[in-house]
Amino acid sequence: MCRVLAYLGEPLLLRHPLYDTDNSLVRQSYSPRMMSTFLNLAGFGVLGWDRRSVEPETPFAYRVTTLPAFDPNLRELAGKITPSCMIAHVRGVTYSGHEVIANTNLHPFRFRRARVALAHNGHLREFRRMRYDLLPHIRPDVAQGIEGTTDSEWIYALVISQLDDPFGLPGAAELADAVASALRIVREIRGRLGIDTSSPVNLFLTTGQALVTTRFSFDYGWYPPGDTLLETDLPYVSLWYTVGGAYEGADGGWAMTPSEAPRSVLIASEPLTVDTTSWLQVPEYSMLAASLTDGGIDIETRDLDA
Amino acid sequence: MLDGPVAGTPDAASLKRELGRIPLLAGMSEAQLDELEWAVRGRDMPAGEVLWRQGQEAEGMVFVSEGAVSLSMSLPGRRAVEVATARAGEVLGEVALIDGGLRSLTATATGQTRLLTVSRSDFTALVSRRHPTAFALKRRLAEIACARIRRQISALGDALGEEAGGGPRREAPEPFADLEDRRAPDSRYVRRLANFRAFDSLALWGILTAGRYAFCPAGSTLIAEGTRSPACCLVINGAVEKVVVRGARRIRVGLAGPGHALAYESLIDGGPSTTTAITRERALLLLLPQAAFARLFGDETAGSHVFLDVILRDLTAALRQATRPQAHLAASR
Repeated sequence: MCRVLAYLGEPLLLRHPLYDTDNSLVRQSYSPRMMSTFLNLAGFGVLGWDRRSVEPETPFAYRVTTLPAFDPNLRELAGKITPSCMIAHVRGVTYSGHEVIANTNLHPFRFRRARVALAHNGHLREFRRMRYDLLPHIRPDVAQGIEGTTDSEWIYALVISQLDDPFGLPGAAELADAVASALRIVREIRGRLGIDTSSPVNLFLTTGQALVTTRFSFDYGWYPPGDTLLETDLPYVSLWYTVGGAYEGADGGWAMTPSEAPRSVLIASEPLTVDTTSWLQVPEYSMLAASLTDGGIDIETRDLDA
Repeated sequence: MLDGPVAGTPDAASLKRELGRIPLLAGMSEAQLDELEWAVRGRDMPAGEVLWRQGQEAEGMVFVSEGAVSLSMSLPGRRAVEVATARAGEVLGEVALIDGGLRSLTATATGQTRLLTVSRSDFTALVSRRHPTAFALKRRLAEIACARIRRQISALGDALGEEAGGGPRREAPEPFADLEDRRAPDSRYVRRLANFRAFDSLALWGILTAGRYAFCPAGSTLIAEGTRSPACCLVINGAVEKVVVRGARRIRVGLAGPGHALAYESLIDGGPSTTTAITRERALLLLLPQAAFARLFGDETAGSHVFLDVILRDLTAALRQATRPQAHLAASR
């Protein structure tokens, strides 16, 4: 199962969440504390929006199929960049010769000209059987962007096809509606094809100014006979967040600083610190949406009844 | 943080008197108290001393003999909120010993406080035996956890305001009556569920054949808040959510997935259900009727030994889950 983090708020040195905390994202690739039966060795990707960069509305991107723990280029870059929004992902796949490890399968996905990016933690069981039933719901100009073999990239194409303008800049509410609509379409197709086994869909979407995440699973608690992923899938796929002024290290630990109104939010598959006391779990079957405002950020959770 | 100075090691008679005042141990025989006595040590704490901090490994559990202990929860943004006060007679810290997790709250003495402490290793030694005292202690811990869940959920309901009731999606007039019978699942699947891995084949068979299997579609109310459940449900497939409904507001206080149990609180303490249980996904349930539950919960067989562990772990998971909405409510203020 993959591991993902998303951040929106005060500029944050990329190195902090990737390397510096004691359960950083890079550490989670080879030593996750939750779902420890599964390592995330199939590649790394990050997108970040830096207000001081050229064309600040366009994110920088870094994706490699190698292990981030052994990547000196990433470590050095991460020490120089302070994005105000980022989404980073370490990819986990089943240990099988059938899996495709390639640049085209690396998250976060962002098609050319698109303003929305997406990373996914989870998997749609029997995706091959349902893939082409998704096509009528994906706009042709979006479908042209699909290059890889993952369910995640198709989910991305499906979500942005639900926007009024797939290449426009949606607010958090419109993005959340598009996600909910995409999940309903997937639910309907699964029902029609008789696909009814557990399929977690924890999504992380951002535009650089708005952030939407889901903690959701189709048919949670139902597994195919002899399922090799059973032990991994039995717990509901986790999602945590912490919120406050700025994410800072102090006294050997990392936490959000106090703030009257929230100015930063950090969301991750599992807390970035061994001490989880400053983190809250996102409720199962729900969505968390955050957006930048003049005074900080607005955060809202809503139930997902897809 | 149980390794602080041991202030008092009272003589055996006074220690036994102190133990006798702890509700967890009330009604235990002289012989059973003798069994516990060797594991208990006294400790005096001044006001303000921290017994343990949230997120720490658990080193033991305590009985509050005199005084009071404040329990507080950390929140994002380096904030904290007091959620309860434990007073004389109450037990603290057993949850993390039962489920092996970390401390979920910070415990601080609010005044001069006397505690009776039991270390993790002594607690494990006490409850892992197949001895009448171990069975009695586990049943008591389950009753205490039930009472704590009731208090916690009642406080949540109060925070939401309005009267109980509101809109479960479909009322169930008679719990479990109209559920469709199904065949037993493949025991190889059941054995892989975390809560059942500890069962030996015979004990697992004893449980899997003690009730009936029933299928329930998604969105069905299994138990309504305020009613008494006639059976304990073990979720084999799917998921059941436990919600508190007040007017138009609805808070989920737990989600029971495969291997988890629900609706057993009434069977333990006779009280009504504090939550409404609704199938979030279609679900295959093992329904253990009251008589079967009473036998598994009350006997002193190998099967009961493991079944009590399952119920205790489930109760501690329910306690931890029930703190989540509390934290969200506090964090949003």
